[in-house]
Amino acid sequence: MAFIKLNDLEVEVEDGTNVVEAARQHGIEVPHYCYHPGLSRPANCRMCLVEPYVFFPPAGAIVPDRQLATGCTTVLRTAPPDRKLDGKYDFIVQTDSPRVKKAREDILEFLLVHHPLDCPVCDQAGECDLQDFSYRHGHDKSRYLEVKNVPPKKDLGPDVLLYSTRCIVCTRCIRFCDEVSGSGELGLIHRGSHDEIDIPRNHGGAPLQLLDNKLAGNVVDICPVGALISKDFLFKSRPWFMKKTNSICAGCSVGCNITLEYKEDGVYRLKPRFHGEINQHWMCDDGRLGYHYVNSDDRLQLPLKRVDGELTPTHWADALALITEKLLGTEAADVAPEDIVVIGSAQGTNEDNYVLQQFAHDVLKTTQVGLFGQLPGEEHKFPQFTIEADKNPNTAGARTILGAANGNVVLEGDALWERVAGAKVVYLVSGGPERPLEAAESAALEKVDFLVVQDVLPSDVTQLADVVLPGTTFAEKDGTFTNSTGWVQRIRKTIDAPGEARVDWEITQQLAKQLGGEMNYHFAGEIALAIAENVPGYGEATHQKVGDEGVKLT
Amino acid sequence: MVQERRILYEHLDVPDINTFDVFRQYDGYKRFEKAINEYQPDDISKMVMDSGLKGRGGAGFSTGLKWSFVPKDIKPCYLCCNADESEPGTFSNRYVLERNPHLLIEGILICCYAMGIETTYVYIRGEFTLGKKMLDAAIAEASAKGYLGKNILGTGLDVDIYTHPGAGAYICGEETGLIESLEGKRGQPRNKPPFPAVEGVFKKPTVVQNVETLCNLPFIVGNGVEWYTQMGPTYGDARFDPPKPDPNTGTKLYCISGDVNKPGVYELDLGLTCTELIEVAGGLRGEEVKAVIPGGSSAPILTHYELDTRLDFTSLTLAKSMLGSGGIIVMNETRNIVDCLLNIMKFYAHESCGQCTPCRWGTPWVRDIVQRIADGKGRQSTITRPKFGIAENGRWGDTGETEEIYEDLDLLESVANNIANVDTMTWNTICVFGIAVSWPAVSYMRKFRPEFEACIREGKLVTLSVAEATMKPEENYAYQQRIIPREME
Repeated sequence: MAFIKLNDLEVEVEDGTNVVEAARQHGIEVPHYCYHPGLSRPANCRMCLVEPYVFFPPAGAIVPDRQLATGCTTVLRTAPPDRKLDGKYDFIVQTDSPRVKKAREDILEFLLVHHPLDCPVCDQAGECDLQDFSYRHGHDKSRYLEVKNVPPKKDLGPDVLLYSTRCIVCTRCIRFCDEVSGSGELGLIHRGSHDEIDIPRNHGGAPLQLLDNKLAGNVVDICPVGALISKDFLFKSRPWFMKKTNSICAGCSVGCNITLEYKEDGVYRLKPRFHGEINQHWMCDDGRLGYHYVNSDDRLQLPLKRVDGELTPTHWADALALITEKLLGTEAADVAPEDIVVIGSAQGTNEDNYVLQQFAHDVLKTTQVGLFGQLPGEEHKFPQFTIEADKNPNTAGARTILGAANGNVVLEGDALWERVAGAKVVYLVSGGPERPLEAAESAALEKVDFLVVQDVLPSDVTQLADVVLPGTTFAEKDGTFTNSTGWVQRIRKTIDAPGEARVDWEITQQLAKQLGGEMNYHFAGEIALAIAENVPGYGEATHQKVGDEGVKLT
Repeated sequence: MVQERRILYEHLDVPDINTFDVFRQYDGYKRFEKAINEYQPDDISKMVMDSGLKGRGGAGFSTGLKWSFVPKDIKPCYLCCNADESEPGTFSNRYVLERNPHLLIEGILICCYAMGIETTYVYIRGEFTLGKKMLDAAIAEASAKGYLGKNILGTGLDVDIYTHPGAGAYICGEETGLIESLEGKRGQPRNKPPFPAVEGVFKKPTVVQNVETLCNLPFIVGNGVEWYTQMGPTYGDARFDPPKPDPNTGTKLYCISGDVNKPGVYELDLGLTCTELIEVAGGLRGEEVKAVIPGGSSAPILTHYELDTRLDFTSLTLAKSMLGSGGIIVMNETRNIVDCLLNIMKFYAHESCGQCTPCRWGTPWVRDIVQRIADGKGRQSTITRPKFGIAENGRWGDTGETEEIYEDLDLLESVANNIANVDTMTWNTICVFGIAVSWPAVSYMRKFRPEFEACIREGKLVTLSVAEATMKPEENYAYQQRIIPREME
């Protein structure tokens, strides 16, 4: 630990911390643009200038260093005993001296020289570092009378637009493409004040390579100004009108930490949130742009039942009564517990799956439990990021929890479909984006006498169902996901489910109650407590402990 | 009349001195042989330190001190020879490369021996096609004769020299910009620390030396430290008690251009005055000296009141200017300082690499302001303000008079100082390009303010007489601040 004097504070920081981070840890803002904790540090924005103190031998005193130093590259380390300042400090630094304040003002003035003041039509306004720092550290007026540079607006790739006029050339995006995605599509063209970010182009200006790697969306997040803009979010909403909730991306088994931004009418965007051991600062575009099914107009809003071969909307009481009738009524004599197959979803939360397995084990008394989820995709490896092939957020958790009371036997793949083909009643929970069925799968499901499907969108599965119950997506419920490396992390309810759609575990519980089961959970956290008690390894995974950082399974 | 003292340039005019055999006749490589036969590597480093040799590239940093910063335990270590002579007004390295390339190779060999370096990169300015051709030929010849390559002269010393042409950027003459360019990246300076001596080419310790500095090494080794130190003055650094010796030893290749009768490169002892130098260069062309740029276009200008300033590293630094690369540009009474500044600012705005904020957007801004003044569109305020100067009590302060406000001159000074503050000598930029821009901008404007004011007032480019155009020494704050160093006893 290095003992430093930061302004008037005497603080201890880890060796190797830079001044910007050390100040942030102690609630002091050192404004910066080019510095990003996940990238290299060229120190080119000059915004984080701070005033270090040094021992000056001719004066025999500790004085401010002649030059200001950039906070991002000034690394704090324990000094050898004979090099301590004032006998005890490893470093003395001022982040708010008059010199530093003057330097910040000057740099901000330069940054705004060519910056168009088009905040009213800029997507970044409201979450723009240039706005914020100008307001907090800058001048109130411009002295610039000359003509502003007007470089062209550019289309860089499938989801990214570049408004070059707003660019402050911090080169974060270039470094991201070089270091994190390793694809290196971006670079600087021209020189001096004509610097522009661009993709490779031929002499005619036609692009030779587009910014279309699977991490490209991150450059929009790290852009401190409104230069790089996501086409998906362009002109959709002002940042301050959206509510923000910490959640987990449901796009694959990595389990990237995200901030879900939403209004009453739906989810607007997902942004990555830092987690040191899972996704660092990043997320992939599949996850980032994969939320659209949540807002879809096709979402199932009412329960459906099959009348004369057609799926017809009905009400909950009717739908549930149909299922109860099948399992308790006159035909029930033909249905032995082994003829019922309950299939949980890798898209569902641990809580959904726990209630489902309790339903299967305690109420239906069946041991036939299966796991269903999205088809695997491709794995993509980047220098500092991996997109996994498993496109379900909770395969690991669902598998463990569904098998918890069943000797850990969970039917998957061919074994599952073989079993389904011979079953009389199948209760299948799906969820997530529309999932196409393969030939063998639909053949097996067609043979089923009575198929109950819980899903969020009309799909191949619902087409075969006798009763469809509208469930919820990751954005509409509380719960936990377990990722492929054993991290249990929380998702939170943000928007309301459309129509009469209900949280999956509530549907299951309602059904269980109607079938005479004793199950009475009031909220997801209560189920998590039951999981912690009953599922090995999940002892620490209560909602309280999982919090925003997650809990690693033991 | 001061005489030239030719050391580096002594044999420059010998026919075929660029060939190994002729060079050999003039003591060529004998100094290197003396170094490896008579001295240990550490002895050479000590000799260089004792000689007081200062880097000739521009910063004037002690070469011996620079070498002492190189960690001895990290290998490989590289030598980068900076032959990207891009400072306007400087053209001395070019002649060495084109006419006497073996001298540079000998200097490189001595440096490599002293520092245990096996690989040297010579970064040559792209425009020096002839220089590169001559140096490449000399390297091939020296390799054939066994003075380069593996196991030189059977001593086990390995030295390879690679030449690398630049692509024509001014900033690639800055040592870290040069390193980046050499590594194949965009020529943009690095943030310091770490300095190249610790982390340079390919993240290894690197010594970056100018051609002229390296060419001094054979003579220091060949003729000894005592011989070398007798040339040029040694001042006492008065900040220390007793005064610390501040040597300005050796000769300097002064590149004299502008309004003199015989412009060219003159090799002279350090410590001569401007007046003497103009005399050496055949005297002034024109009536009187209006201004002298002492060290390439980035150096603050000297007025005709400051012609007694000695042209060495220390004296010019204390006179708030710099010797830089020794590119001396003399201007006579016909020159318009606003126009000169515009020319220089156009150059810097064009050459800014655009990496860091103040320089990227400050340099074109300064250029635009000067352009506006030169176009006669400079702004003058309708109100006046108290004038500062030597007040009644004999000290700097409010004189009780009023002066007119020239808004654009204030803006020019303020913007330039925001890139790099010339009064405190601090810069907000990554490299010293920032100060290279604001130094001329602020010094021209302060020392020749009447001419700038006249341009704004008259609405056109006006050239005043020397006496009218120059601020009087008693009004010139920089002149008031100047210190004339004292030589050590």
